Amino acid sequence: MADNTTTSRRTVFTGLSVISAIGSGPAAFWEALVAGTPGVHRITRIDPSHLPSHMAGEVRDFSAKQLIEKSYRRTLNAMARTVEFGVIGCQLAMQDAGLAKGRVQPNRIGIEFASVMGATELDDLGPASVKALKPDGTGPDMGVWGADGLGEMPPLWMLKYLPNMPACHATIIYDVQGPSNTHIAGDIAGAVGLGEALRILRRGAADVMIVGGSEAKVNPLSLSRFNLFAQYSRRNDDPEGAIRPFDRTRDGTAPGEGTAVFTVEELAHARARGAKIYAEVVSVASGVDRGKTGPGLAKVIRNALKAAGIAPTEVDHVNAHGLGTTKGDAFEARGIGEVFGKNVPVFAPLSRFGNFGAASALVELACSVLALQNSLLPGTLNHWDPDPACPVAVHTGVPRPIAKPYAVKTSYTDLGQCSAIVVKKWSD
Amino acid sequence: MRRRVVITGMGVITPLGHTVGDLFTSQVEGRTAVGPITRFDAHTFPTTFASEVKGFELGKYIRDAAKYQRCGTNTQFALAAGKQALEDAGLLDPNQGDRSRMGVYLGSGEGGDDFKNLTRGIAEASPKGAPGPVNPALFTSRMMALLDGPWEGEQEMYTPAGYLAGAFALEGPNQACQTACAASSQAIGEALDIIRQGDADMMLAGGSHSMIHPLGISGFNRLTALSQRNDSPRTASRPFDLTRDGFVIGEGAGLVVLEELDHAKARKATIYAELTGYGSTADAFRMTDPHPEGRGAIRCMAEAIADAGLKPADIGYINAHGTSTQANDSTETGAIKAVFGEIAYKIPISSSKSMLGHLIAAAGVVELVISVMALRKGAVPPTINYRTPDPACDLDYVPNQARELRFRHVLSNSFGFGGQNISLVASRFVD
Repeated sequence: MADNTTTSRRTVFTGLSVISAIGSGPAAFWEALVAGTPGVHRITRIDPSHLPSHMAGEVRDFSAKQLIEKSYRRTLNAMARTVEFGVIGCQLAMQDAGLAKGRVQPNRIGIEFASVMGATELDDLGPASVKALKPDGTGPDMGVWGADGLGEMPPLWMLKYLPNMPACHATIIYDVQGPSNTHIAGDIAGAVGLGEALRILRRGAADVMIVGGSEAKVNPLSLSRFNLFAQYSRRNDDPEGAIRPFDRTRDGTAPGEGTAVFTVEELAHARARGAKIYAEVVSVASGVDRGKTGPGLAKVIRNALKAAGIAPTEVDHVNAHGLGTTKGDAFEARGIGEVFGKNVPVFAPLSRFGNFGAASALVELACSVLALQNSLLPGTLNHWDPDPACPVAVHTGVPRPIAKPYAVKTSYTDLGQCSAIVVKKWSD
Repeated sequence: MRRRVVITGMGVITPLGHTVGDLFTSQVEGRTAVGPITRFDAHTFPTTFASEVKGFELGKYIRDAAKYQRCGTNTQFALAAGKQALEDAGLLDPNQGDRSRMGVYLGSGEGGDDFKNLTRGIAEASPKGAPGPVNPALFTSRMMALLDGPWEGEQEMYTPAGYLAGAFALEGPNQACQTACAASSQAIGEALDIIRQGDADMMLAGGSHSMIHPLGISGFNRLTALSQRNDSPRTASRPFDLTRDGFVIGEGAGLVVLEELDHAKARKATIYAELTGYGSTADAFRMTDPHPEGRGAIRCMAEAIADAGLKPADIGYINAHGTSTQANDSTETGAIKAVFGEIAYKIPISSSKSMLGHLIAAAGVVELVISVMALRKGAVPPTINYRTPDPACDLDYVPNQARELRFRHVLSNSFGFGGQNISLVASRFVD
């Protein structure tokens, strides 16, 4: 449980970028959160009618070409959509933080990014696949693939999809020469990346860390794969109401896409340069609930609270992953419930923009950071009928004032990997 | 005072041995496992050879191996290496110790992809006759029919780290990273810091990877990163040699048990070495090429040595990244000279990859294991296939023959595509 309460190195968020289905940029994103704008709709990028689930939180107005640093534009041909989101997210967060290239000594800034291997674009493998298909149609003739197919792949094919490419490009664009790591632990990846950034700042290896994540699962291959093994909602007649966190009628989740990136800064460094501060980031813990029954997640939450030096009663709200899956929500609710009972309201923002996967912990965290900053907690969308199997009190309806200084963000994977983040409303 | 961290268990699955002992013996004897690719028919590929793990059966290590039959080789290798490391450390019993203080940090890669059905589906969704864009809706319809859902669900990037935690009751911090060829060294370095900062008492750390699959080899071949010396696979990996023409791809896993010193002492654990230094930097230069002056490599070596409280002259042996690519080996040589000055010429340097090939995300941990064995056994493995000196690589690479040498501190380098540089220092344990 990385924490900073025992040392003078307090850490704060000084920059934020979000690209999501409900809005891009902290201001537009916050406006949509308060207004209750739904972002999960019928998929438009492809015709989804052959898939069991037709919905996603699509980003429909994204142009990396317009946003990328001019000097870097030619490298876009080596970036899949996941990478584009990540690189642009880093740029926007650095701009928001007022950190132009060279503003921080290159050795004193690092990056922790959460991502996954991107799914191949079909056209990248189109000509090779057609050439290599055996006459009987059962699959590729490997001899033909090697001799005539492989050469049809784009030369930089592999680099377009590698998980560490968002971080790689960001380090080049901003001359970031401190530690650079890329986290791939599924839906906790962004949270453990943030935890690692705190440890790096605390051990003195950097003064500023870029912490972000990006995902782009709204593509034909990922949609097909996830429809086959993940619980995606089949409520195709009601996309906006499809993801129902902790609701008795929940039937699955839906993918989102985009990015969320923070700059995390040692407080003295932020002050010295007069940076604006969104919130204080206090502690991060991770661990594994092997049976996905709740006690393991509860332990991780308690570890994060202990590292923050606070009691459950000081927490304004718990920001849950709230996927809307049958077993997942019940597991998460039991873990949260064991620590907080029904005394602390649960806010689950994912039903508005879908699951960002590796970036989910950070885009969901952004909701609480903005809530603390604006002293207002938006309601959870699509929670009407509480499920007795989910022993938590879900905050719904109109936004309510923030009552206490701390928020806790929980995340987990279907293998029981769990994380908890504690953030605090900024005050000196 | 800073918490000290020691290595109390090690496990490997590699092309040159499925135990640490076999691996190290092979290294000292200068053997290689490079041969024709057998995982799939690669005879028409620009590169037809690799360093494969042969004769691996998860059932030899894990009682309920059937549970993991759908997992990618990365997960299976990780489970086998993890089992060895925990057994070696005496920490296999899930009821032993506070398991919430024991975690996992894995540098790992992708699971498998269903190449056959993926390319079949793309071909079937492509226009007939003239080339043109693939029809995505038709493709999804073909995928829904062709793909094996439960199998796909086991190929996610968080799968190996999650299953390691589940199989061995490691309920503490759980992390997985992918920084290409630096990944497992970075996992070990950050796991070291997790223990130092008190977030865990033990971390099972390392990496697991296999890219010996059609898209892995295709992708590397398109980047012209692999050696194409198809007429002589066994001599293809020739780090620091003038005639080097690319790396030889390998596969495998390695896990080490990192333990807080007092925790290890309290249970009278065997201590193999102390992990004393860690440095991590970014090149911020290009996607695949290292910075020509090795600025990131220089600083990460210097940071690791300083982190260990040492001076360059204290380092007795350098286990190089040494990939056998033109760019890496000369840049790494230059960086070593920049850090070590005149004494660079006196320190033996070798590349495990000359024998093992490049295990990508698993490379760093396996090379650390070799480094620790060299420290304990007083023997430095050679760089094999070294025949033609390169004026740009003029240090002592322990050519072709192992060397007896007693030393106290070893530096191990890992540099990855994307510009991540990691150096680790392991030291003979002195109480």
